[in-house]
Amino acid sequence: MKPASNDAIQIGRLLRAGTSGFVVGCRVSQLESPAFGGLVRAALGDDYQIYGLIHDIHIDDDGLVRQLVTAEGIDENVIADNRLNRNVPLEMSVLSVGYSQGGRIYHLLPPRPPLSLDVIYLCSPEELRQFTSAGRFGYFRHLLRAVDLPVSELLAAHLQQAQAAHAAAGNQAWANQATQELIILLRDDYATLMSVLGTLRDGILDF
Amino acid sequence: MDKNLKSVIGYVVGGSLKENLFVRLTIPAYDVQEGGFVVIESGDWLFYGLVTDLQLGATDPRFADEQSEQRLPPGLAKLLHGQTLYTNLEVLPALMLERGPDLESPEYLRWQEAIELGLKQRPAPLPVKTIPPHHARVYLADAGHIAEIFGKPETKGNFVIGYTREQGHPVCLNLERFVQRSAGVFGATGTGKSFLTRLLLAGLIQHDRTSVLIFDMHNEYGFDDIASDTQEKVVGLQTRFRSKVRVVGLGQGAMIRDQRPDFDLEIAMRDIQPEDIELLTRELNLKETTPTTLEALTNSFKRENWFAAFKAMRNGAMLEGDDGKKFPAPDSVAAWANTVGVNVMAAEGLHSKLGRVFNCPYIVENPAADTVSEIIKALEAGQHIVLSFGNFESDLDYLLVCNLLTRRIRQAWEQRTNQFRAKGEKEPRQLVVVVEEAHKLLNREMAAQTTFSTIAREMRKYYVTLLVIDQRPSQIYDEVMSQLGTRVSGWLGDEDDIRAVLSGLAGREALRGMLARLQPKEEVLLLGWGVPMPLPVRSRRYDDKFWEELLGKAVGGKRSEQDILREIGF
Repeated sequence: MKPASNDAIQIGRLLRAGTSGFVVGCRVSQLESPAFGGLVRAALGDDYQIYGLIHDIHIDDDGLVRQLVTAEGIDENVIADNRLNRNVPLEMSVLSVGYSQGGRIYHLLPPRPPLSLDVIYLCSPEELRQFTSAGRFGYFRHLLRAVDLPVSELLAAHLQQAQAAHAAAGNQAWANQATQELIILLRDDYATLMSVLGTLRDGILDF
Repeated sequence: MDKNLKSVIGYVVGGSLKENLFVRLTIPAYDVQEGGFVVIESGDWLFYGLVTDLQLGATDPRFADEQSEQRLPPGLAKLLHGQTLYTNLEVLPALMLERGPDLESPEYLRWQEAIELGLKQRPAPLPVKTIPPHHARVYLADAGHIAEIFGKPETKGNFVIGYTREQGHPVCLNLERFVQRSAGVFGATGTGKSFLTRLLLAGLIQHDRTSVLIFDMHNEYGFDDIASDTQEKVVGLQTRFRSKVRVVGLGQGAMIRDQRPDFDLEIAMRDIQPEDIELLTRELNLKETTPTTLEALTNSFKRENWFAAFKAMRNGAMLEGDDGKKFPAPDSVAAWANTVGVNVMAAEGLHSKLGRVFNCPYIVENPAADTVSEIIKALEAGQHIVLSFGNFESDLDYLLVCNLLTRRIRQAWEQRTNQFRAKGEKEPRQLVVVVEEAHKLLNREMAAQTTFSTIAREMRKYYVTLLVIDQRPSQIYDEVMSQLGTRVSGWLGDEDDIRAVLSGLAGREALRGMLARLQPKEEVLLLGWGVPMPLPVRSRRYDDKFWEELLGKAVGGKRSEQDILREIGF
């Protein structure tokens, strides 16, 4: 795995973490790049990075917002000020799906979670391609185990982004291979599989 | 290996030795048919089997129930179906063959060397004794596999009887093995039994290691005929084997297909034995007193003369005495019966019923020639006899003549065999007796009385075997059916007939459906001891091409000048 480039997009810093996932805090101004289903990485040094998929983006209120929402005719400057200078950060929940160490990618849970205030980056298309083509879709395991998450939607969003990255590099077959693997993993769970396929059908991927 | 990979059709997912193996198909189901010959790779061994069933399956029944192609885009539906819906093959494992280590490995050379040095037995197909493991690769047999099991077409004695249904690889029948035990050709009417028999007989005649006697009830085999369904000319055996095949017609001056046969067969009265009459019990509706009366006749007139003497008696002839009382004439049946103490009514009844036999024009006191002996001599000399019944197509004619002639032949071959074994004289030539409508001679009631059941049971040791041809194998006595080594069967619809053909064979449950689903024409199932494993084949066509391949020269059309010159030695 290549080390993070200097122009990597920083999307925030770590708020809290566990082995299976972590939460990133960021400013509103940093919210333009990351999206639901995006692959991010926590850089814990050049040799060790943890990868995760954003499965929730959460904006909490604070006291000022509570007052402002009931006011009439809020000034645009006030709104902009509240978003830029708010005290409570935006939170992005990330599901850990693998890590890299010694230049090799593992679709396993990371040995150690990232530490607070570690910088979190959005993966570039190249990094996305590298992570998703390593091994044989072992990271799907972590998604399918996360029963409390909107798995179908998360998978569909991830597949859409990953397929775009692969297609840009000339590999049109990745989505088919990924879908086939999902079907294999879920073929004994009719309800989940049909839910996933139904989501994929909804115009996200071109089959 | 690449070649094998190309034809891989699936992998083993389950099964047992007692039941069948189950194979997950990885190619479209329509590329494999019931009866397909498949090979399973397992380490140093190859397993050969037969597809007996194809089953649709689903990882969850709901995937099968729901038409997901209506809910999902075609590409997505195809991916889903590829993983959740499948076809399983049921494979009847039949043979296994050690193929040794990988060809390119050093172990292979050592293995080969051990065989060459005689330290290890040369691999040969064995009845299956174990099963391949899970996920063993399965592929359709190629021509090499078929040749490995059924023999190479170019080897002498191997006769191509047909071709595999999917890929058209030639399937051979080993004629040496075929004639070692009695065999049967079965199939419902119109399934091509006669054509198949012609093929087999042509193969046997050309191979020239066996003599053939054909009881040709319907005058089909000797001279050219017209096919009943296509109205096309069907070449007779004598047309192609003019110097080897003799056609014998029943009765003086017989005409077979408007042609004169090579011999006429007349039967001497002295040749007719009481057993010949007893086997006509059902045909003539004879009573249970018949054996007693016949025994009295042979006691009175000897076995050679009883028939002529009984025929000469007058039935019901009475004379009137001086006192006006009537009494049986001295040459009457009643007078003889009274003399020997036989029931007069029984004797007169038998005489009356034997009227049909007495009136047979081919039974004469003194035949112009001893044709029966001529037939035996010709068969011993390596010629082949087609006995055509001409206009005598009744069951009575067929039963009487077949049994009588076969009895004489049996005696002759027993005598030759005993002389060969005891005195070291010339070994008897193998003889195949071909019997059409075999159930008439080999049914449960008659089997014990006819020579044919004896041949089927015991005559293998005396170089005589049967080739029975029948459309109702269920009517043939079980004991005879069980002795049939090779069975070649076309389509059969009747459950009892199917059961009879499969009697005594392993895997008959699996083969049952296959037999019922053969194409009504030109498809046959090869079964039994004479073939290494059961296999349905598309039978060879009996046409000019067949003769060209068999005889190695052009037939049917004009011969070229070169061909003629070559034949006459230039």
